[in-house]
Amino acid sequence: MAGASMKDIKLRIKSVQSTMQITKAMELVASSKLRKAKLRQESCRPYHEELKRALLEIEASTNDFSSVYQQRREVRKTCMIVIAGDRGLAGGYNSNIFKAVSELGSREELCILPIGKRAVEFFTRHGYEVLSSSFMEAATISVADCFSISEMLTQGYRDGQFDCVKVLYTKLVSLLSQVPDTMELLPLAAGEEKPAPAVRELVLYEPGADAVYNAIVPNYIAGMLYGAMCESVASELAARRTAMDAASKNAAEMIDDLSLRYNRARQGAITQEITEIVAGAEQ
Amino acid sequence: MSTTFRLRISTPDGLIFDDEVTSFKARMIDGDVGILANHTNYVSAVGAGEAVIHQADGQTRKAACIGGMLSVISNEAHLIATTFEWADDIDLERAMRAKERAEQRLAEAKDDAREVTLATAKLRRALVRIGVKS
Repeated sequence: MAGASMKDIKLRIKSVQSTMQITKAMELVASSKLRKAKLRQESCRPYHEELKRALLEIEASTNDFSSVYQQRREVRKTCMIVIAGDRGLAGGYNSNIFKAVSELGSREELCILPIGKRAVEFFTRHGYEVLSSSFMEAATISVADCFSISEMLTQGYRDGQFDCVKVLYTKLVSLLSQVPDTMELLPLAAGEEKPAPAVRELVLYEPGADAVYNAIVPNYIAGMLYGAMCESVASELAARRTAMDAASKNAAEMIDDLSLRYNRARQGAITQEITEIVAGAEQ
Repeated sequence: MSTTFRLRISTPDGLIFDDEVTSFKARMIDGDVGILANHTNYVSAVGAGEAVIHQADGQTRKAACIGGMLSVISNEAHLIATTFEWADDIDLERAMRAKERAEQRLAEAKDDAREVTLATAKLRRALVRIGVKS
């Protein structure tokens, strides 16, 4: 009967409405958090850029310079730091990252350090070699955490546990587009963009160029890592905002559609009632 | 010749100090180093210890300064620190708790070399903070 279907439609409209409320709220939360995340990302940039400049200057200023961090060796094992989110409902944010991992090479050559709950779950379930699964929360990771990670990585690199360290994060191209990207942390890319060798000032390195270089590298790695973290978090929020925006729009469309059907059903019921009355009066 | 120089301090959280100072002292990896105006170009890695800044207006400020790099290029000093906390901002109770936790961890992790390194680093940080505050 028309009445029952009217009730059904009304219930559906109600449930879609409450879903829409949730997606709207999530969108608003994501955009306010996104603003903060972007600020954080910008404020940490000078730190590792400055350290990078210092490293390049040290490389350029000494001729017979060599450091364990800078020598390339045959890559048998790559340590890959994968940064994903803690929660879903962020469009393709997490799945894009995992898709990118499968394109990286065979499982035996990889050793994964997952960051974020989703990443930890994914890699343990798929049987990858996981370095440590103690970094479950990507959103609240601190500078101190990045430094302990960096310490762990430089130690492992020095001991020959792996020959190459890369980080897989999500680059925030714009608020509407985020793409997974890899960045090589170790060995340090030597001779990439050397500072102008023109008139160089003499610099005193204490206790020595090598010692300073080796002491700065872990800091630099931590800075880079923290930067990638901040960018990934911002990307996640941007992805979530876009996804929730689309969901809200979808819900609004559905409500429009359902209201139309509801009104039609109501009109149909009224017409039927009139027909019945008229038919009764004619007899 | 001027007796002050510009000192900038940045951390991963952004620029936290940028002003004229008369002297600056901090712990490097090979001991304490003091910088005055017109120092020669100098680069070193920062250890863990107390930093003391004498500002141009006569004020003296202390801070806990751990890790990073100090560079002095053409009379401009730039400290890129991993951790830099002004003495006023240090939470003594938290540092005490961190110290106890680190000591406990150190006692438990007797054979695990990695655990020992991590706990030692934590303990050192806590001790630096407590030392600066008191």
